[in-house]
Amino acid sequence: MRTYIEFALKKFQNKMAYRLEFFMGIVNTVITIVVYLCIYKALYGGATEIDGITFQMVATNFVISLGLSDAFKYNEMFLQDKIHDGTITNEFLKPVNFVFRMLSENIGEGLFKIIFNFIPALLFTLLYASLCPPKSILNLFIMLVSMMLGYLILWLISFIVQTWSFWLFSVWGIITIKNVFVNILSGSLLPMWFMPATLRKIISFTPFESIYFTPVRIYLGELCGADILSGMAVQLIWICILALVAGAFWKNGVKKLVVQGG
Amino acid sequence: MQMIEVNGIKKYYKVAKRDKGITSSVKHLFHRNYQVKKAVDDISFSIKKGEIVGFIGPNGAGKSTTIKMLSGILYPDEGKLQINGYIPYKQRKQYVKNIGVVFGQKSQLHWDLPLIESFELMKYIYKIPQNLYEENLEKFTKLLDMENFINQPVRQLSLGQRMRGDIVAALLHSPEIVFFDEPTIGLDVVAKEKIREFIKYMNETEQTTIIFTTHDMQDIEKVCDRLIIIDEGKKIYDGTIDGIKNKYANSKTIEILLENGEKEVKTFDINKTPMNEVMEGLFSKYHIKDISICEPEIDEIIRDIYEGRVALKTTDGKVGEI
Repeated sequence: MRTYIEFALKKFQNKMAYRLEFFMGIVNTVITIVVYLCIYKALYGGATEIDGITFQMVATNFVISLGLSDAFKYNEMFLQDKIHDGTITNEFLKPVNFVFRMLSENIGEGLFKIIFNFIPALLFTLLYASLCPPKSILNLFIMLVSMMLGYLILWLISFIVQTWSFWLFSVWGIITIKNVFVNILSGSLLPMWFMPATLRKIISFTPFESIYFTPVRIYLGELCGADILSGMAVQLIWICILALVAGAFWKNGVKKLVVQGG
Repeated sequence: MQMIEVNGIKKYYKVAKRDKGITSSVKHLFHRNYQVKKAVDDISFSIKKGEIVGFIGPNGAGKSTTIKMLSGILYPDEGKLQINGYIPYKQRKQYVKNIGVVFGQKSQLHWDLPLIESFELMKYIYKIPQNLYEENLEKFTKLLDMENFINQPVRQLSLGQRMRGDIVAALLHSPEIVFFDEPTIGLDVVAKEKIREFIKYMNETEQTTIIFTTHDMQDIEKVCDRLIIIDEGKKIYDGTIDGIKNKYANSKTIEILLENGEKEVKTFDINKTPMNEVMEGLFSKYHIKDISICEPEIDEIIRDIYEGRVALKTTDGKVGEI
């Protein structure tokens, strides 16, 4: 465990080496959020609420889902590059689990971005728009836990697509398509509340709803009591399913590598 | 007991074969013809603890494939492999704790971080006790002259500095076996010498078993006790360097300086004409002022072997052992 924490810390430190990237990251997040807020402000046209959804709720949804989706970004071509240049073999020569190492490093990077990118961006956004406070302190804490589960779902989806680089020459295109799906279906571009009922029904059978929307609803208090538990149970179920799928792809990919030599 | 025991390992690759031209390219989309390439074809050897063995062979001979199988990242198709009591490809995680691998062409250092940070990470990866870590780090940095760049980010280092960093990173956990895959590739004479001395030192003081591949025969001559030559997936020589010289360097070159200042160069085969006869012949024919006999360089012998001018296989098909 200590080893993996150390991986995360090293990545955290690594990120600090690039100052310009760090400042531009804040600017990028602030601009994205503010642009979306402007669009929705225009759509609301002075109305305080549409279908019972206040502008404040929309703003909160955007800050959490868009802001975090920026913070949760990392180099998704990592595995492909490692396979192409052959350095993946270096990883198999160490007594550590490479998948957990990737996860820890991505978490390290995510933490860095939350602290140095998301939080400053959040403060800037507060100058422009007011956000809903959490329903209660307890809701805030539960939301943080739910957010971590959401991160795992996001990570596993990305990892599964990344493992395809064992078979495909380039996964860049597939990753781009995957990201479009994630952005739209997770409600970070169009808040889930405004989606057509049938689409929302379909999404509820996919893991995408569990990424940002479940934590957002817990934060706002839309989910309470037993609904919180069932929401998080769904998150856990998706983590299990995706982990099994990811494990299968990974195992077969590695087998291909060690049997055929990549 | 043998440290490394390799018995008849084979590794065949399937390579898609493609003919020239558009029609065959289209055909290739739907149906592929495969050709089997024998990367490693029935290689056996054993290595004792504390030995230092050089692996050479022309490009594509199967050296790297062999090293990959030895280090556990490639399954052999056939044959047995046991190293340090483990079967590398089956018990990979246990096995790799006690080995170190240095690939001359693939760095394992963190590009953005100072060298020392990569070393720190090794401490956690291999769970190296703090005192051993400090002791090794101090010793290695001194031996490899690394004090003045250990705090620089790896991306700012020269190739020679980076290589030294990679070597230290692979040895910090005091592995019992170390594989070097072309550790001196692209380095200048001074850096090469440093690395050779270091490898030799590690072998002598720590009894580390070392296997290394190279194309630089100087590496072999200065560092290795034993030499294994691989060509086209087969082992064609296994023995000492002097052995190969004695057996295959049959031709000697004699340079004679005559009294009138002229120079003569003669090459002859000592198996065909004994030295006595040669000398007698020379003395009776010339007035000699000075004479020097040149041994053929190991480089030349190896070149002859690669190019097939010297057959290492004896007539009964056995590998030449000395």
